[in-house]
Amino acid sequence: MKPLTNLRMSWRAIRSHKLRSTLTTLGVVIGVAAVITFVTLGASLQAGIIGDISPDDRQNIYGWAAPEESSNQGPLAGAQPVFTQADVDGLSEQPGVRAAYGYTSIPTQSVGFGGERIPRQDAVVATGVEYVDEDEIADGRRFEYGQREAVLNPAMANAFERNVTVGDTITVTVVGGFAVNATVVGITTDSEARSPFEGFGPGPRVYLPLDPYYTQLVAEAQETPRFPAIVVEAESIEGVDRAKESTRSYLETDSDAQEQAEAANLTYELQTSTELLGQLQAVLDQLQAFVVGIAALSLLVGSIGIANIMLVSVTERTREIGIMKAVGAQRRDILTLFVTEAVIVGIIGSILGTLLGILGGWAGAQYIDIPLTYPVEWFAIAIAVGILVGVGAGLYPAWRGARTDPIDALRYE
Amino acid sequence: MDSTGGSAAVSLETVTKTYMVGEPVHALDGVDLEIPRGSYVAVMGPSGSGKSTLMNVIGCLDTPTKGTVYLDGEEVTTMSDRERTRIRGEEVGFVFQTFNLMPRLTAVENVALPLVFRGIPVGERRERATELLERVGLGDRLDHVPNELSGGQRQRVAIARALVNDPALILADEPTGNLDTETGENIMSLFEELHAEGNTVVMVTHERPVAEHAERVVHLLDGRIERIEELDAVGAEVES
Repeated sequence: MKPLTNLRMSWRAIRSHKLRSTLTTLGVVIGVAAVITFVTLGASLQAGIIGDISPDDRQNIYGWAAPEESSNQGPLAGAQPVFTQADVDGLSEQPGVRAAYGYTSIPTQSVGFGGERIPRQDAVVATGVEYVDEDEIADGRRFEYGQREAVLNPAMANAFERNVTVGDTITVTVVGGFAVNATVVGITTDSEARSPFEGFGPGPRVYLPLDPYYTQLVAEAQETPRFPAIVVEAESIEGVDRAKESTRSYLETDSDAQEQAEAANLTYELQTSTELLGQLQAVLDQLQAFVVGIAALSLLVGSIGIANIMLVSVTERTREIGIMKAVGAQRRDILTLFVTEAVIVGIIGSILGTLLGILGGWAGAQYIDIPLTYPVEWFAIAIAVGILVGVGAGLYPAWRGARTDPIDALRYE
Repeated sequence: MDSTGGSAAVSLETVTKTYMVGEPVHALDGVDLEIPRGSYVAVMGPSGSGKSTLMNVIGCLDTPTKGTVYLDGEEVTTMSDRERTRIRGEEVGFVFQTFNLMPRLTAVENVALPLVFRGIPVGERRERATELLERVGLGDRLDHVPNELSGGQRQRVAIARALVNDPALILADEPTGNLDTETGENIMSLFEELHAEGNTVVMVTHERPVAEHAERVVHLLDGRIERIEELDAVGAEVES
């Protein structure tokens, strides 16, 4: 039998059962679409995180003190407020260190501007001047330490009906209802996360100086304000490991933090952004494998659907198989016809599934607000898998059809 | 081409077919039969006499338990399934009581089906099938599917299909069994025409009037040839 004739005959068989073929194809479509969607979202998420680590970020060391059992759980896991301003000042004097400053996020109820209040729990960060690089300021300047000033990123500045510009005053209401004002002195170039502490991806942010905002907030509870996290910037990327060692030794011998760390049995977590990235990537990879695994299950269900329908189809066409065999169809001809049918369903299903998955990935990325990255090699894999599913699911039914005894088949009603 | 079978279209030597149904049942029990080329033979017998088995064995749909079958001089009993399938497609044309047409294929496509499995290109297939449908008087029904055709027309399509590979033998199994008398007679005269053109026809039937169209009638009983009747042109018995 000529391949084209074979294709035509199989296509005809598919078309003669439109509803059944559509439903069977749908099984594959959903499976492939699920895989593509989740793989796209995973890749977009990873690209979003990797994209955030700019080259000058790679010389940064992120540190916090946490109980041993919290280690390797990601940035700030179990972080306790132990670092004082004196520690940070001392660290910035260490050889190979360009700057050191504290970091904390301020639990916030809302950010207000011009009578408008935007509820935001995670938007406000209190840190040092160097946290935002000078060349990351699009408009205005960085805040000054000790001043009631704020730097906003565009996502935050544009969140209000009337855009916030340099010189405006915003109100930050912290958890507990306590409200403070800050004069906006700068707007950043972009809304990406500026460190792994901020989490992944872009989002609206207000950057405030630790002094006076954090100091004021904790004045009642703490005699000396203590920060839950520090950032140490090495002078060069090459020197980052040395700077990390000197930071550790300084913290363990000369710091105010040491006393509390010993008392509460805390260990210092010091990680470069590259290390943090590696950890995040490992976590993401596991998550990705898990989700893709579930999606792959639906592909398996789809292939069982094909196998089931093909078996029905073979049984239903027993007599036709008998006729074809009586007029000279070889086993191979029958086998090819049915396998081709399953493969056509597999191919159509995986192409439609890929398109749907691309759409799903796009919608998902829009929804969770991450930059869209398509892992194109996965599309090829998905289509290949769709074809394989067709062959795999069609092979046994086709083999049964090919083996049919023509005498029995012709008698079959 | 030439072996023990000589010039016969079909030659059977002590062919036995045994089925195991608890105990051995001989559907065919040592049948010797020679069907010369160009002859017209009817096979008659009560049900269970082995008519269908004989037909399947001759048509390469089934293999005998013992004995040898020659088709157009070639021994088919020692052939592989693959070769027998090829012989079946190229040397035998089947006509069934239930027509056995492909329901989704048009008349032309049904007639051309045996050519598909020989890898004949589509243009040539259509040309040959059209020619044969015109030959059986269905030139105006080329693109109708079986559902749109009457019983007699369907059987004509089946006959055209049987002829498409220019076979050594046309095997008809109760070809008029599902047709009314008048349509049946039309089909029978078509077979007579085919015979007159030099085709070898073997027809299984249980109807005496149908069998009387043939030159010879082979009577089967319990898997054995009971007797062979020679008929003259008008269907009367010449000798027994």
